[in-house]
Amino acid sequence: MKPPSRAALARSYRVERVFTVLVGLAALLLGAAALVVGAGWLGTFRAARPVLDPIAVDTLRAWELPARIAAVVLGLLALVAGVLLAVRTLRRERHPDLALDRTAGKRLLVTSGAIAEAIAADAERVAGVSRAKATVVGDAATPALRLSLWLRYGARVKDVWQEVDTAVLRRARESLGVETMPTAVRIELGAQEKQRVR
Amino acid sequence: MRVLVRILTLLLGLALAGVGALLAVEVAWTWARPVQGPLLVPWPQWRDRLAELTWQSGSVRLVAAAVAVAGLLLLLFAATARRKDVALLDPGPGITVRTSPRSLARIVGARVRAEENVAAASVTATPKRVRVRAVSGLETEAHLRPRLLDVVAATLADLPLTRKPKVSVVVDSPKDRS
Repeated sequence: MKPPSRAALARSYRVERVFTVLVGLAALLLGAAALVVGAGWLGTFRAARPVLDPIAVDTLRAWELPARIAAVVLGLLALVAGVLLAVRTLRRERHPDLALDRTAGKRLLVTSGAIAEAIAADAERVAGVSRAKATVVGDAATPALRLSLWLRYGARVKDVWQEVDTAVLRRARESLGVETMPTAVRIELGAQEKQRVR
Repeated sequence: MRVLVRILTLLLGLALAGVGALLAVEVAWTWARPVQGPLLVPWPQWRDRLAELTWQSGSVRLVAAAVAVAGLLLLLFAATARRKDVALLDPGPGITVRTSPRSLARIVGARVRAEENVAAASVTATPKRVRVRAVSGLETEAHLRPRLLDVVAATLADLPLTRKPKVSVVVDSPKDRS
């Protein structure tokens, strides 16, 4: 299990990558197997057989009912899996709001945008930081912070880092009243000053 | 490449859903009304065509090769879709700090170009290795190279990197050619 601060670094692409690898592997193996059969390496007799083998067709005919049920179930499973996968890739990354008080009647919710803006504005005040962007990621039970910092050229990373940890993040934790806030910091070094178009 | 893998997953997911739906619908339709013929896909024609083709026929081999190549490409895309962040030391528990290889290359490049007698420099950086290629019109490689190695090492030492990348410096100078 990855620590939450590491998981907050970037949106996870594990499911997408694993799926792409599985499809790629299946396509590669099937294509290679068909080529091997066609080249006659598994016997010249087999290579001359039709692709839709009469033996296979006869077997399917003999087991007609189970084959039909299996085909329908397989089709429905593929439909559900494909739709779930497509929905997953299209879903936006979650930015949970923080519930500071859950007691009925006086619920207090801080929206993810408000937290992010406050922390980013605070981080931009640190010497050497030219731009900062914060986002709240993860789920509502275990929210985490992703903080991107663009440092000016010549800024000392160790100093910036120290101040972000002791000042910015501590203030954020205190004002939100949480003990810990898993944080992923992405640093861009030697960034150009932001040019405003007038 | 990460976006590409996401788009590919979307397309493959939609294709899987479509093929699954067609399979279920066609099988159920033929089961319920065996005499009326196919509903959406002309599968009896496909079946007859597949029964004619043998594994040796050119079109079968062509399709098999295309499928294998497509699979190889998918594997390649998936393999290149990983992040290549440079890890920095964590300042405290529960905090993870990363930077990009491009950042590393940018600051090393700026420091190298600021050195005397360096006309141009290009830097490529990965978490494991920093490669510098400098052009100098006035100094030979034997003179400039040790100095540049020191500069790059000092620049990297300033950063709280978890692992020091290996540094390689190449100087391209016309003085070495004469």
